[in-house]
Amino acid sequence: MSQDQPFIGIDLGTTNSAVATLVDGVPRLIPSRSGQSLTPSMVAVARNGKRLVGQMAKRQAITNAENTAYGAKRLIGRRWGSLEVEDARKVLPFELVPGPEGSDIRVVLGGRAFAIPELSALVLAELKADAEAFFGRRVTKAVITVPAYFNDGQRHATKDAGRIAGLEVVRIINEPTSAALAYGFGKQMEKRVVVFDLGGGTFDVSILDVGRSVYDVIAVGGDTYLGGEDFDRRIIDWLVQSFAEEHQGIDLREDKMALQRLRDAAERAKVELSEIEQAAILLPFLAGGGDGRAALHFDRQLTRSKLEELTLDLVQRAIAVTDRTLRDAGVRPGDVDEVLLVGGMTRMPGVQQAVRAFFGREPSRGVHPEEVVALGAAIQAQALLHPRGDKDILLLDVTPQNLGIMLVGGYFATIIPRNTTVPTSQAHLFTTVQDNQSSVRIAVLQGASEKAVENELLGEFVLDGIRPGQRGEVDIEVTFEISAEGIVGVSARDSGTGTRQSISVTATSGLSEPEMRRIMDENLDDLLARRQVGDFEKLRERTHAILSELESLAPAVKATLSRSRFGKDAVQRAEDVVARARGALADQDLQKLSAVEESLDRALQLFRGLATGAGPAPKEQA
Amino acid sequence: MRRDQNPGFLFDSEDLAEEVEIDLDLRKDILFFAGSMAGWTHWEVLGLPWNAPADRVREAYLDRAKIFHPDRFTGRQLGSYRQRLARIFQRLTEARDALSSEVARAEYARTTAPPEEVARVAARQIENDDRARERRARIARSHPLVARMVRARELADRGRRALAEERFEDAARDLHTASALDAGVGDIRPLADQASRKAVAARAREIWEKARAAELQNDLDRAQLLAEQAAGIDPGDPRHGIYVAQLALGRGALETARSRAEEAVRAAPTLAAAHEVLGEVLAAQGDTAAARKALTRALEIAPSLPRAREQLRKLPWSFLR
Repeated sequence: MSQDQPFIGIDLGTTNSAVATLVDGVPRLIPSRSGQSLTPSMVAVARNGKRLVGQMAKRQAITNAENTAYGAKRLIGRRWGSLEVEDARKVLPFELVPGPEGSDIRVVLGGRAFAIPELSALVLAELKADAEAFFGRRVTKAVITVPAYFNDGQRHATKDAGRIAGLEVVRIINEPTSAALAYGFGKQMEKRVVVFDLGGGTFDVSILDVGRSVYDVIAVGGDTYLGGEDFDRRIIDWLVQSFAEEHQGIDLREDKMALQRLRDAAERAKVELSEIEQAAILLPFLAGGGDGRAALHFDRQLTRSKLEELTLDLVQRAIAVTDRTLRDAGVRPGDVDEVLLVGGMTRMPGVQQAVRAFFGREPSRGVHPEEVVALGAAIQAQALLHPRGDKDILLLDVTPQNLGIMLVGGYFATIIPRNTTVPTSQAHLFTTVQDNQSSVRIAVLQGASEKAVENELLGEFVLDGIRPGQRGEVDIEVTFEISAEGIVGVSARDSGTGTRQSISVTATSGLSEPEMRRIMDENLDDLLARRQVGDFEKLRERTHAILSELESLAPAVKATLSRSRFGKDAVQRAEDVVARARGALADQDLQKLSAVEESLDRALQLFRGLATGAGPAPKEQA
Repeated sequence: MRRDQNPGFLFDSEDLAEEVEIDLDLRKDILFFAGSMAGWTHWEVLGLPWNAPADRVREAYLDRAKIFHPDRFTGRQLGSYRQRLARIFQRLTEARDALSSEVARAEYARTTAPPEEVARVAARQIENDDRARERRARIARSHPLVARMVRARELADRGRRALAEERFEDAARDLHTASALDAGVGDIRPLADQASRKAVAARAREIWEKARAAELQNDLDRAQLLAEQAAGIDPGDPRHGIYVAQLALGRGALETARSRAEEAVRAAPTLAAAHEVLGEVLAAQGDTAAARKALTRALEIAPSLPRAREQLRKLPWSFLR
């Protein structure tokens, strides 16, 4: 089966990303085309206007700091003006601006504003290309991981990113769950596992019962703003401060290039300190002396104990979250059979020490902390796409945060509590508060606070067209659903008459549908330009024209058909042809597209005829 | 959970015929499950016997989740079955969540127990009670202080039973003993006194009956003796005094009769019979005015006393007084 349809699992990280698949039933990391196992999650626009992704982007980051974006994951699905974003704006070398709706965030690179999912999409597309090089074939199906603590908006935005990159995101799964999956792969066991996942930007902790090839998540907790970047920032702050002390108050923050060099050096020192006790930070010509004075060098030693001192509170924050999550689930540290360390930050001895002290046991060293998540995603992709029956693994995940609605007075009413196994749904009755009220507005939120404003607003739902009635007499049953991916859905029904109620959604973050289309078209243009297939280009335009005419005729055709019993199968065929044409367009397959061209023409004839009601009678189509 | 074991389930042919990418057997399982689960207990949902332990709950949940979890059908045409699968999985999860806490499980077991189980539990309860009683008795035998208390309790119980069966003397004996052994046994003292009183009354009544028998046999001396005895035993009951007075009157011992009758009137001023007998004695003595007064009083209390009425009519009128 896997011969026909390659699939991949992607760990879309804050700092680094990885892609994996199953080769002969064994999970395996796919190396980048340049031979690296990890791809930096960086996107840059070079001075010549070229887009650079991954290793290429990282290599030029120092000289082009303001046009090099990193850490998109910490911004994805977040709202402009939120505390996290304001915080990030202060330290990021690239420029953030609000999106056209005013609610989401754009990153300005090379004079163009990129939506956050767009940046993630570029990284995903890079990984996709790596996978295609590995398989020698097109790859479209992927499982992408997100931190367990991601909310609905962040998951949506990640899915959008996958779509923009031309991937069919079969499933969004949680990183710790994915790690447990890779850990438990091929093993027979019955264990209670805790995954302690401290990555580049986010911290997750998950408690799972693993056994009988089921990965049953009991509880998750986390902090989407705690990770390696915060550790780096502590080092940078310390470096900047000591430099200022040494050189009469020169502030390195004002120099973007110097700051980028410091960032690089800080990260490198942090990594080195996992192996050795002391790391040298030597940055010659870091700052110009100015006024004809000699350039200034930077030369400091950072010891492991100094690093631990600088970051002690960050480690303690992670332990506190772990403690709370265990308490939540009624699990004592001693009940845990295995502690898995995931994420690059767990290589730090100080972190390992804290985990060891908390659980009173040695954490497992059996997995590669940076690769394990992508491997798990590949395993899940295989289980979803090529099920083999009973032996297959099954993930039972939970929802990380309370889902609820805003009540009068700004209070938050939980409808689906956190740590509920997904998929799940819960109905809630709303009633009208005025006579003949025709609409109800419901704000849906996710979070842990009792106060609505302190939680994340997922969207506002307006129930329209409520039948007239005395206040309190019309009950609307609103059903809230959380899918297995943690994505929220809402539907409504008049519980008196049983009729479905229309719901309109105003998403507060992420991209609008038209904008998605525009970006996807643009990406397609980009790809096409790169492939330089002129013929395809022409055919594509023509096909587009036919497709859009077909689409515009569709309502008229439907109307004609509703009055007649003829032509239904012919229309079905026409629709198949359209689907094939779209497939060929999406695959950018010139041969397929030419093959379908003739049929498409005939479909157009048929539709024109049906739409006017006077054209040729429907006849058999090829 | 093969449908063969549930022949009562009616499949909707339209549902079965729906074009979906699911095997017919599994389709039937899904329809059966989704159509029946509303009426099932959490255990039935998981295919477990009533009150199955928590570890089996988890096992059963995982087995069924593997069959019905929507992930098992990724990428397949599911039609209306998609919704059913989601509902089934949620129902399974609900059952698991409800049964995985021991406390919640016990509570749920109580509310869902089948009738035969309720009967079994009740029988066991009775058995337990019996056993507890035996155990108490055993302990009692082995410890003097406890023995005393247990003995007191047993006596009190026996005394109460005797009281209810109107064996007043037994009751009085047992209750007084119990009260003496352990003053804390209920409110035993007043009950003991009450039993004593009733025992005395019963004893006096017995003798009175013998006196009546002697009277009927015209052995008036013996009757008089016995009646005096009864009155002596239960001086609180004026009826015995009245009877003595009546007997004395019949035998012509008027002085005795009068003093007894007067005593009875003093003891029970509202008893018509006392006034009546006094009136008769006074009439016999010829004290007409006093007799009339006593008889009138008797009739005031009980207007239907025939003997008093008769006596009053027979009294000669004296306008002197």
